[in-house]
Amino acid sequence: MKRKLIAAIGVAGMLVSVAACGGDDKDKKSGADGFKGETLTLWAMDGSTPDAWTKDVKAAFEKKTGAKLKLEVQQWNGIQQKLTAALSEENPPDVFEIGNTLTPAYAKTGGLADLSDLKKSIGADWTESINASSVVDGKQYAAPWFVLNRVVIYNKKVWADAGIKELPKTRDDFYAALKKIGDKTDAEPIYLPGQNWYHFVGLTLGEGAELVKKDGDKYVSNLADPKVTKAMETYQKFQKLSKAPKNKDEATPQQAEVFAKGKTGAFIGMSWEAATAVKANPKIEKDIGYFTIPGATAAKPEGVFLGGSNFAVAATSEKQELAKEFLKIALSDKYEGALAKESGVIPNKKALESNLKGNAAAEAAAPASAGGGTTPLIPEWGAVENPPNPIKNYMTAVLNGDSPADAAKKVEGEFNERLAKKQ
Amino acid sequence: MTVQKTERPPSGPTDVLKSDGEQPKDPGKARFRATALTPYLLLLPAIAGTLLLLGWPLVNNGLISFQNLNMRQFILHLTEWNGIDNYKDVLGDEEFWRVTGRSIAFTAINVVLIMAIGTLVGLLLARLGKKMRLLLLFGLVLAWAMPIIAATTVYQWLFAQRYGVVNWVLAKLGWSSMAEYDWMGGQYSTFFVIITLIVWQSIPFVAINLYAATTTIPKELYEAAALDGADAWKSFKNVTLPYLKPFLFATTFLEVIWVFKAFPQVFAINEGGPDRLTEILPVYAYIEGFGNQHYGMGAAISLLTIVILLSLSFYYLRLVLKQEEDEL
Amino acid sequence: MKRSLFGRTWPNVVAVLLFIGLVFPVYWMFATAFKPTGDIISEDPVWIPFDATFEHFKTAAEADHFWTMVMNSVTVTVLAVVFALIVGLASAFALARMRFKGRRGFIVGFMIAQMAPWEVMTIAIYMLVRDADMLNSLVPLTFFYTIMILPLTLLTLRGFVAAVPRELEEAAMVDGCSRIQAFRRVILPLLAPGLMASSLFGFITAWNEFALVLVINKEAEAKTLPVWLNGFQTVYGDDWGATMAASSMFAIPILVLFVFLQRRAVAGLTDGAVKG
Repeated sequence: MKRKLIAAIGVAGMLVSVAACGGDDKDKKSGADGFKGETLTLWAMDGSTPDAWTKDVKAAFEKKTGAKLKLEVQQWNGIQQKLTAALSEENPPDVFEIGNTLTPAYAKTGGLADLSDLKKSIGADWTESINASSVVDGKQYAAPWFVLNRVVIYNKKVWADAGIKELPKTRDDFYAALKKIGDKTDAEPIYLPGQNWYHFVGLTLGEGAELVKKDGDKYVSNLADPKVTKAMETYQKFQKLSKAPKNKDEATPQQAEVFAKGKTGAFIGMSWEAATAVKANPKIEKDIGYFTIPGATAAKPEGVFLGGSNFAVAATSEKQELAKEFLKIALSDKYEGALAKESGVIPNKKALESNLKGNAAAEAAAPASAGGGTTPLIPEWGAVENPPNPIKNYMTAVLNGDSPADAAKKVEGEFNERLAKKQ
Repeated sequence: MTVQKTERPPSGPTDVLKSDGEQPKDPGKARFRATALTPYLLLLPAIAGTLLLLGWPLVNNGLISFQNLNMRQFILHLTEWNGIDNYKDVLGDEEFWRVTGRSIAFTAINVVLIMAIGTLVGLLLARLGKKMRLLLLFGLVLAWAMPIIAATTVYQWLFAQRYGVVNWVLAKLGWSSMAEYDWMGGQYSTFFVIITLIVWQSIPFVAINLYAATTTIPKELYEAAALDGADAWKSFKNVTLPYLKPFLFATTFLEVIWVFKAFPQVFAINEGGPDRLTEILPVYAYIEGFGNQHYGMGAAISLLTIVILLSLSFYYLRLVLKQEEDEL
Repeated sequence: MKRSLFGRTWPNVVAVLLFIGLVFPVYWMFATAFKPTGDIISEDPVWIPFDATFEHFKTAAEADHFWTMVMNSVTVTVLAVVFALIVGLASAFALARMRFKGRRGFIVGFMIAQMAPWEVMTIAIYMLVRDADMLNSLVPLTFFYTIMILPLTLLTLRGFVAAVPRELEEAAMVDGCSRIQAFRRVILPLLAPGLMASSLFGFITAWNEFALVLVINKEAEAKTLPVWLNGFQTVYGDDWGATMAASSMFAIPILVLFVFLQRRAVAGLTDGAVKG
């Protein structure tokens, strides 16, 4: 590792001196604090940057480069509009976190800097499946940061109150346990809003269903597929146990904050959401437990969406070198490992996965991740996620009483139009 | 005739105060002549500002509407002319026509309700005793004063699925199925909330102005009608109505223009949802443009919306100009 | 004229019902804002907040950037109103008192500008402001609001200027005032009600503006209250107490302004001081 770091600094230094030859006196930088006075703007998504990791990376970055790091936390909802606008502006965020399902679409826009040289210097052993979303037409448009899948986060006290001794191993056990909570306690068995579409995507993966299919050279909606219907029926069965709004997603309100009130048996979320809950109500910490989302049989856990995040550099950023410096630090084995440890996310290298040992959330997530997947990694997909996301609307329609077939028909036009629109 | 605003003027006083302003004078008689340039110099800041900040965006909107402008072109600042492709796409998309039809129906329902209820409330004001009138005026002014986004937020709370007071009242009145009704879950129920909100916000303008107008009807006219043996209805039909006709006409147009472009209310209540089923033209333009990042398409929809609005405005302007002919 | 008991009663009954319908949303906003959370999420509504609390106001006021946005809203609104008054008054004077070529055209032009659909021009405006590198700044916002409220200000003031008796002005000028002095000493004071009325319109329009600021100022430091309030609910979700407290704080300036001017309004109305 040390060798790599030295090599990296060497490469950076070389590039810097090349830039300096260009006569741009802004770039007169060398050595450790060659970036003094500059500020690197980083956009990270809500929840991705745990406190300790952020603090350490910031300190390391500022120490090494002499520049400042400005972190701006973004919300998922409406992120594309904001990102597109920002990338077109004079001062885009220099480095930003971008969801794996959105990366191909943005790679096509020309807004992302080519990071092929970074891949060469630090990415030789990035896990291939995790890196897949960042590579478009053979070029590296982003650097893989982490992936993770959802687990069941539950309130031990509520489950004990209901007299449940054993954690459920199958979907039916899970349902029965939640039912029991509903009968025996005054807590809400599960908080599951109508539009937790990532969980729904996971269920479809579990059924072996595809959300889109090819029709000639075009992608079209596949929501009418009976396998998708089956996944939706599972979702609906569990959603009926929740009082959460049917037309909202898990971030409005933040499900972890609802859970933090202690009146909820469980929710389906990401490992770090436990930290959100603890922040809202420190007393909840000792009651939080995790388990793998149970599948139809005990042998195979539920299908899960492998949500992943990459780091990308804005093509128009004037701080390309500084941005790469940041990536080298943030994605270094030290901090990548620390992130895995703190947040329980799957790191971008197989070798670092040992950091997950002892992290209860990560251990609950691991059994399912092998059967996980993503939405189709095609450039056309980005448009689908724009609000109003037709998949979310499909879910709400079913939950409000439409038959899955009718609901699929309702959103099909919008879904297909989005898949077909030129970029 | 006093009404000449499109934005809902927020309070009664101006109309009252303003109206005594229009006394036809012949400016040609001015004894003191400024130089020929003075009026233009005085107008210059207003005209320059309007051309720069209103005219230029309008032209720019037109230019954008003839471009292929999606994420890529937008981010890289590329200009790719594509002729009338955007218009072909928009006009050929049945969704556009559905939204247009919806906007027209939406406007019609709102305006009919606003004018009918507003007029009735205005006439009621004229009939009330002083104390009750003040009370009702106070209520009207309060509803009128409520800022739009504050009002949309409050309506979301009133119609909230859980703990919303509307659902509670309906359940108590015997519709037990309404106890946890999701108003934002359906097209018609969402429209119901939006229309209730807009009508609530709009009645005061019509009612207060109409009441103000009725106070200007000369008493003699009623006395004459009474001498002719007219009953209440007849004197309303023969005296009040003809007197208020120009006012009602102009107000109706203003409300049409105003409701047609009611972006904040519709957007803030449910962002055009569920399923994009409550989008009216301005919201459709925004969602297609910014939301789905087809900026050229969005601009084309905007321009079509502007054309519709302008034609409505011209009709209204002709009306106002006819009434103001002498003064101009 | 004699009326039956019923004939005398029903208008009052209807008036009271209307009053309740009109005022209830505003009342409910304040009531919810003052209620403890337990009373807000109770199965049966608590109609009157007997255990009033300021807790929700505290939550809202302590939200990130709240005070920045208050300052932004106030700055933008006040400046836009002042600019519009100055520019509008100059134009109103020309249009009401002078005869020149194109006068009618200008008036019609401003009448059209008054109906400008700003709500649907956001894409074009965004791109212009972006290319001028002025996003997330209060400067373009202030100027756009100025132009937004200018036509109404100008046309309203035109009416008031025209209403000042020319003889007064002439008399002042005979007394040796210059035209500018005559304007300042004689006409301006008579315009006070008009200035007040048009600034009220302008204030409300700018205070309420949502579509434009939503698009051109995305950074928290440059947002105004309507966008904050709209986003507040996303962040605070089902915390209706805080949301209503936020709404209340946003509405209060306007409501106060109205109550302040309302007496004049109602007095004017009841006196029948309206000429057709």
